[in-house]
Amino acid sequence: MNPSRKNKPSTWQYILIGVFLFYMFVPIVSTYIFSVATRWDRTILPEGYTLNYYTQAFKASYFISSLKNSFILSIATVLVGLIIIVPTVYWVHVRVPYTKPLLDVLMILPFGIPAVVLALALVQVYNFAPLARSPVLLIGAVVIYSMPFMYRPVSNAIQAIDVITLTEAGQSLGANTFQLLRRVIIPNILTGIWSGSLLVFATVFAEFTLTKLIVGARFKTFPMLLVEYTRINGNTAAAFSVISFTIAWLASLLILWVGSKGQASYQKAIGAR
Amino acid sequence: MAYLELKNVSKQFGNVTAVRDFNLDIEKGSLVSFLGPSGCGKTTTLRMIAGFEQPDQGTITLDNIDITTIPPNKRDIGMVFQAYALFPNLSVRENVAFGLEMKKFPKNEINQRVSEVLEMVRLTTIANRFPHQLSGGQQQRIALARALAVQPRVLLLDEPLSALDAEVRVALRAEIRRIQSQLAITTVYVTHDQEEALSISDKVVVMNNGCIEQVGSPESIYRQPQTRFVATFIGTANQFSGKVSDDHSVQCEHAQLQVADMRQFSKGEDVVVLVRPESIQIQFEPTHEPNWNLLEGVIETVTFHGAVTRIGVNAHGQRIVADITYSSSTPISLGQHCWLAFRSESCQVMGLEK
Repeated sequence: MNPSRKNKPSTWQYILIGVFLFYMFVPIVSTYIFSVATRWDRTILPEGYTLNYYTQAFKASYFISSLKNSFILSIATVLVGLIIIVPTVYWVHVRVPYTKPLLDVLMILPFGIPAVVLALALVQVYNFAPLARSPVLLIGAVVIYSMPFMYRPVSNAIQAIDVITLTEAGQSLGANTFQLLRRVIIPNILTGIWSGSLLVFATVFAEFTLTKLIVGARFKTFPMLLVEYTRINGNTAAAFSVISFTIAWLASLLILWVGSKGQASYQKAIGAR
Repeated sequence: MAYLELKNVSKQFGNVTAVRDFNLDIEKGSLVSFLGPSGCGKTTTLRMIAGFEQPDQGTITLDNIDITTIPPNKRDIGMVFQAYALFPNLSVRENVAFGLEMKKFPKNEINQRVSEVLEMVRLTTIANRFPHQLSGGQQQRIALARALAVQPRVLLLDEPLSALDAEVRVALRAEIRRIQSQLAITTVYVTHDQEEALSISDKVVVMNNGCIEQVGSPESIYRQPQTRFVATFIGTANQFSGKVSDDHSVQCEHAQLQVADMRQFSKGEDVVVLVRPESIQIQFEPTHEPNWNLLEGVIETVTFHGAVTRIGVNAHGQRIVADITYSSSTPISLGQHCWLAFRSESCQVMGLEK
């Protein structure tokens, strides 16, 4: 290919990239600015800057508890998801590979069910103590809702290794299924497990609909606090958003970092063959 | 008494019969090869011995114990795979120690055994490397060491050399044989490479279409093939079809061939006479000797194979090949008239139906 042509994107490409960046970044940048603006409705740039809204946000009565609840919900969902997904995907690949297309379809279903429908259905079915409207029911719902995010990376990682031969090699050396998973399979699909976990973590951390409809005010999560504050003070809500973004971004950075590390070691492992 | 015994073992995948009524006794300490074309059922049989496949019928016994339903991790049978199957996340040492750790051996014994087997495969210097840093030949030697470390009762090798270069293949197969004899470990070796099977085995099992065609020593498989499949699959064989005319001769289209051993065939039966290329001599002056067959022909091709030269001769329209040790003092030219001479003992008679 002609290098000069390769290095010069056309005007159209510049415009497309420009529109994309504008679309992605303007709301985020505005939120950041809004969270530190004293007044921003009469001028192009804010009239002054302050960190008062952050002070208010950190002082909010439910700040710590809602943050804690969000972490509990996210981490519990990741753990339950891992315990369900990893052995299932492994078992499907090794024992019943012909059911894999079925599992693939099943794992798209949560995308097709509106959160409202899922929440109301679960509330109706599990309307007895101690499950009714409990955080446990919420975790169950969120696990279903976020399962595709866990399934894809784990499934891809298992596909990338010769899982059947590794299993047979381990068995011929006397390993049982648990030992195999712990010593051989999981260490070799760790990249997929990490990306899946962090995707689920980020998704669940921002989850609002299911939480609101299933547990309501009894288990206040961070997004619920944020929505509450949009009705009280827009600037403080913006400060909450920024805190939420920051946590989500840290999670994404972790994904990118783990991903690039995994990619490198995978290339190394494959390279010699 | 057989150590490993397969009795009436059959296995079906859907409508395809992979293995049909397989019966075999394997003696303790011997190396037995399963040899056959791809899809002949050799790997399926091996996998049933390992426990990765369940036979539909029949039993497998090891040291007089029925192991047919015992799961693979409790059989004490080691396996080496074509694709090496080393654990990528573990170092060479950790790979070799894996089986011993599963069996909860004490730490110092594990270290000692790992060093021993690494020495056996002559790879002590790379113990701390990872599988992806090794060549294919080294990886397969580590896989062999890993399987041997737990001192299994039977060692299974599933086309262990197929993924390697020709040179490494020959070196490693000698090494496998050396270690196998040294440890006197009962071994089953699956291959589609006849040279490999003949050079390494105590006993060769030739398989075709899920059935055993012949079991015997490498030499008997080569010299006394019992079926036409074995005769043509192992090495090259010239074939002459004809009818038995008396106890010692077969009437073919253009010649009457003298045959030393007519086996069970009687007069008038349709048979095929097989002659190995290396049993045929090329003569330019016919020498009539008793018990020798002579066929007239014209040289069509001359192919240099290194140790031997393969001469293709057209004898009355039939192509016959002869392997001769070439000497440049007797130049051979294409189109030259010649006689093909071979002893009656070199002729193997086969029935047509097989």
